Amino acid sequence: MKLRNFSRPFIPVFALICRLTLAIIFLFAGIEKLINPGDFAVAIYNYRLLPDYAINFVAVLLPWLEVIIAISLISATNTRGAALLSALLFLTFATALTINLMRGLDISCGCFGASSGNINWSYLVRDFSLFCISVFVMIYDRGWRYFFV
Amino acid sequence: MTKNNLSQKLYSSFREVIIVLAIALFIAIVSNSMISDNTPLFGFSSAALIKEQQAKIPSITLSEAYDLYLKKKVIFIDARDPYSFEEGHIVDAINIYPDDVSLHTQNLKVKANQGFIFVTYCDGPQCPLSKETAHALILRGIATVKVLVNGWSLWLNAGYPVSKGKK
Repeated sequence: MKLRNFSRPFIPVFALICRLTLAIIFLFAGIEKLINPGDFAVAIYNYRLLPDYAINFVAVLLPWLEVIIAISLISATNTRGAALLSALLFLTFATALTINLMRGLDISCGCFGASSGNINWSYLVRDFSLFCISVFVMIYDRGWRYFFV
Repeated sequence: MTKNNLSQKLYSSFREVIIVLAIALFIAIVSNSMISDNTPLFGFSSAALIKEQQAKIPSITLSEAYDLYLKKKVIFIDARDPYSFEEGHIVDAINIYPDDVSLHTQNLKVKANQGFIFVTYCDGPQCPLSKETAHALILRGIATVKVLVNGWSLWLNAGYPVSKGKK
């Protein structure tokens, strides 16, 4: 196996960098939340958007979803699905953030478990950027095989 | 890209979404059930959490509150309903019912930056309104909040200054 000779390498290489960046972010976020699901459940509750019966379920599912997305992105298996899920997640996070920023609540973001700051507008910019990166990966990523012949 | 190609790509994307979701769901449920002190999947109680959070809000004694009042370092927040407030309240108090906190947040943040301490009160030792208003204030980033339990009765019986009417 050797490195492929590219005619126009910019987009695939940039997509690869984006895919790995997303993967690292999801892996870090997922593991941080897995360490203390109780604290993450409280962070979800503080957003005041979900009914009680859904909070623990989301607190248990979301960290693993983030880890599986990260693994999919690193290994480039089910990449398009993982990137689509990633885009949907960032869109959801951005919506939840916007609602609570409009409400004026000063709550922990919960984005990276206990090591998260309180919500502010810069987090919305971050989520929107990551949403764009996810869409870019979904459209342009070619997987590992593309780089080798 | 042909229409057929696009629908095929969409179909494969959604199939991949289902696969990733199913794997995550399976691992999440299995791993959670294997932990000894696992999280009950549908057992979150917001009422218990609110009670726990409200219990952490510091309280203040009548003498401490009066001392702050004399030093003009305190803003009293009457958490009772507007009718009770009109009938009588601590002098210069603001009437903020727990549900109305968001309407006052900006003004109170300015006061908080000027170094004021907020003391919420209602009437009766079991009255939850003062803690609810204090909790709502803390959620909105106003940290210097204390609760004067049974505040109105204590203040009135001590003969400290009161006033009547709206504000």
